[in-house]
Amino acid sequence: MKSYLAQIKAIIWKDVLSELKTKELFGSMFIFSVLSILIFIFSINLSIVNANDVGPGVLWVAFIFSGTLGLNRSFTLEKENGCLQGMMLSPADRTAIYFGKMISNLLFLSAMEALILPVFMIFFNVDIISVLFPLLLVIFLGSIGFCVLGTLLSSLASNLKTREIMLPILLYPLVTPVVIGSVNMTGRLLAGEKLSEMTKWIGLISCFDIVFLAVSIMTIDHILEE
Amino acid sequence: MSENGLPSPNHILYVKALRKTFGFIQALRGIDLELFHGEFLTIFGPNGAGKTTLIKILSSLAKPSSGTAFVAGFDIAESPPEMRSQIGVISHASYLYDNLSALENLIFYAKMHRLENPEERAAQVIDEMDLKARMHDPVGVFSRGMTQRLSIARAIINNPAILFLDEPYTGLDQHASENLKERLSVLRDAKRSIVMITHDISRGLEMCDRVAIMADGKKAFMGHIDDVDKNSFEEFYYKTIANSRIGNSIK
Repeated sequence: MKSYLAQIKAIIWKDVLSELKTKELFGSMFIFSVLSILIFIFSINLSIVNANDVGPGVLWVAFIFSGTLGLNRSFTLEKENGCLQGMMLSPADRTAIYFGKMISNLLFLSAMEALILPVFMIFFNVDIISVLFPLLLVIFLGSIGFCVLGTLLSSLASNLKTREIMLPILLYPLVTPVVIGSVNMTGRLLAGEKLSEMTKWIGLISCFDIVFLAVSIMTIDHILEE
Repeated sequence: MSENGLPSPNHILYVKALRKTFGFIQALRGIDLELFHGEFLTIFGPNGAGKTTLIKILSSLAKPSSGTAFVAGFDIAESPPEMRSQIGVISHASYLYDNLSALENLIFYAKMHRLENPEERAAQVIDEMDLKARMHDPVGVFSRGMTQRLSIARAIINNPAILFLDEPYTGLDQHASENLKERLSVLRDAKRSIVMITHDISRGLEMCDRVAIMADGKKAFMGHIDDVDKNSFEEFYYKTIANSRIGNSIK
């Protein structure tokens, strides 16, 4: 178990080190998110429309689309120079490779979300400070589901020539329940409802996260193998 | 080959009736191979003979459709992690991250191989490959020859029992090729088991103990280097390929 965790840690270390050197992934994700929010803010008349009604949708559009950029890039980097095969030639279990990549993706997505939230708060003039911790929990639950499934599907799509198109086509329909739940809860939190009143949605998102994780663990071997 | 279909303790590699099919394409049509500890096997063959597919299966990157193979005593059908810690692979792909330094790449692979003191081991193999002066440089700025040396360092970092080399001389100039030959000589002299795939007949025959020829997914010839006339091997190679193709087309 110790060596299994050490291998996961090694993959995360490698991804974070690589990203600190290039800032390729994070930079493109952040810029895309900011741009998404800016485009929406200029197209919505907030004097007519309630920011709490449209804000959650805009926020999650920014998260999902920039997260997709990150997922695509994550496995493309492994395909360069055959590095994914290099990892598979090590004694690491295929699930360790999966968890390493998934946690790396989650880290980058979470860092991007942490920077986007203040931007969202400023441009949409919504108070997220008073609901910060419940909001962070909702974002975390939604992001886990997105990254768990997204990492699996990006490893599948990375073998295809049309990977940039295939990943969204495969991912979005399947991750929709998690996104709907996350958007719904975000909106209700911003409207002043308590998290304790949303236990059904929390349960739904958590169930999907667990199912996605179970499917990923069962199938990653077959997906990575040639 | 042993009668019971299982390897002896002296075998480092034992392959029996190995087949691999991709849809309608039969990449391997029943390969038998054996290699003993400390031996160097060179496999020749034209493009599409199934050589790379064979290496991928033996190094656990792909699963066979049927047949058996044992590498370092492990059955590839089970492909346990312990088997992969006994294998090193050098391919035309370097398996290295361009934006990480040479040292960082090797530390990563040392960690993936669960080595104690990965930093120390990485520095040691870098020194063995004469790359100490460039160990903090990103791999992306390395020449092809330096990248190949670093690939060797990566492949031997776990001190594997067997090395698989897939066209290691591809893209190397004369100087880099001579350098690679020296490195392989050191590994051979250290009695490391090696399987090399190459198109380069003269280089392939230089260091090997056994030589095999593959064509159309089958083993067309296998013999000891002492039984082979190096001067006329090229002619023998082309005749063997041609006969193998005629035989397959008649079938």
